[in-house]
Amino acid sequence: MRCRDVDALWDELRGECQASLKETVHTHLRACPSCQAVYEQYAGVAYCLSCLPRPEPSCDLAKKVIQHIAALKGVAAPIVLSVIATPLGRLYAGFKDQRIAYLSLDTGDSPEEVAGRAGRRLRRPVVLGEAPAWLLRTIERFFSTWKVDDAAVDISDLTPFEQAVLRAAARIPPGEVRSYAWVATQIGRPRAARAVGRVMARNPLPLLFPCHRVVDSSGDLHDYFYGLEMKAKLLQMEGYRG
Amino acid sequence: MTGNREDAEEIVQDAFVRAYRALGKMSPEQRADLRLQPWLYTITLNVTRNRLRSKRPANVALDALADPDALLRESNEGPPQPERIVEQNAEIALVERALLQLPMHLRAAATLRFIEGRSHPEIAEILNQPIGTVKSHVHRAVRILRRILGPQIGRFNPEGVPVHALS
Repeated sequence: MRCRDVDALWDELRGECQASLKETVHTHLRACPSCQAVYEQYAGVAYCLSCLPRPEPSCDLAKKVIQHIAALKGVAAPIVLSVIATPLGRLYAGFKDQRIAYLSLDTGDSPEEVAGRAGRRLRRPVVLGEAPAWLLRTIERFFSTWKVDDAAVDISDLTPFEQAVLRAAARIPPGEVRSYAWVATQIGRPRAARAVGRVMARNPLPLLFPCHRVVDSSGDLHDYFYGLEMKAKLLQMEGYRG
Repeated sequence: MTGNREDAEEIVQDAFVRAYRALGKMSPEQRADLRLQPWLYTITLNVTRNRLRSKRPANVALDALADPDALLRESNEGPPQPERIVEQNAEIALVERALLQLPMHLRAAATLRFIEGRSHPEIAEILNQPIGTVKSHVHRAVRILRRILGPQIGRFNPEGVPVHALS
């Protein structure tokens, strides 16, 4: 056996290996001081490495990991998107945890396109699915009362400002209108009327959070994602006489 | 592997988050077949690799590999350290710094083998490499470390008896 072969076998010899191999190597080592020295140095390296202090994780590391994952858990929950027939035609409704989180009137886009928009708006995965009974009941009740129970909607994915704006808009009684400036004043940001307008334009829950009841200060209907005609029609259906 | 606690803990956090995500995507059969410990090692090492690739440790001299003796000279030229504890700390630091100079794949092999005390087949599973490759990486790592740490490292032979006397 040559020195080169013996050199390569050092780590092998530390573990389980054939007794005959061990014997061959040891015979060589007894006769070869330089290989012996190398083996001792290798053993020294291994020993020093095994002696390196194993740092204890800081005491809050486990907590941090768990918090991190808990936060992730929320993000990972998907929105289920289903199609419902309503007096206004087909309506896409996305929900999670028995609460409606996304609503879209049919504009001729494919369900996949609507799902893509919902996913981008709420930054969640979206899957297509059947509408459960509670969802059908909630939507049906909305079209007779023009109101929705707060417990049936979920706007937790939105920014605090967006949430405040939508909640203020929800306080406008059916059949009445308020101005963007009124909503801005309601949330204590009287100069934020334009920002209110932007939130209305991106409202993930139209109808349920009635952005159609928000008009400009002169009483002009101003604008609507589904067109001014739809805005007027909705207000008329609610009993608005403007 | 990283040479400092902050990086290591961030990597651990990252690795657990990845593992959590991956578990969510697995089918029940895949989860049943999973060998958790080696799998976690693999993920942690992948995160380490990705992170170290983008963030090279700045505190390691780039030419240290070319002149391994430099480290020893440096430590010998330092002020005398009479207290034993200080001496010990200096030795630990020396070994740690030597380890940090190894290229990533050799450092991973040496860490798993000698610090984590894993067997060759276990390391092969964690690193997803053939056993022969693992053995050769471990050996190359030890040879380089021996050169960096110098012949004096032989006096750290744990058994305190000459190797050839072991049968």
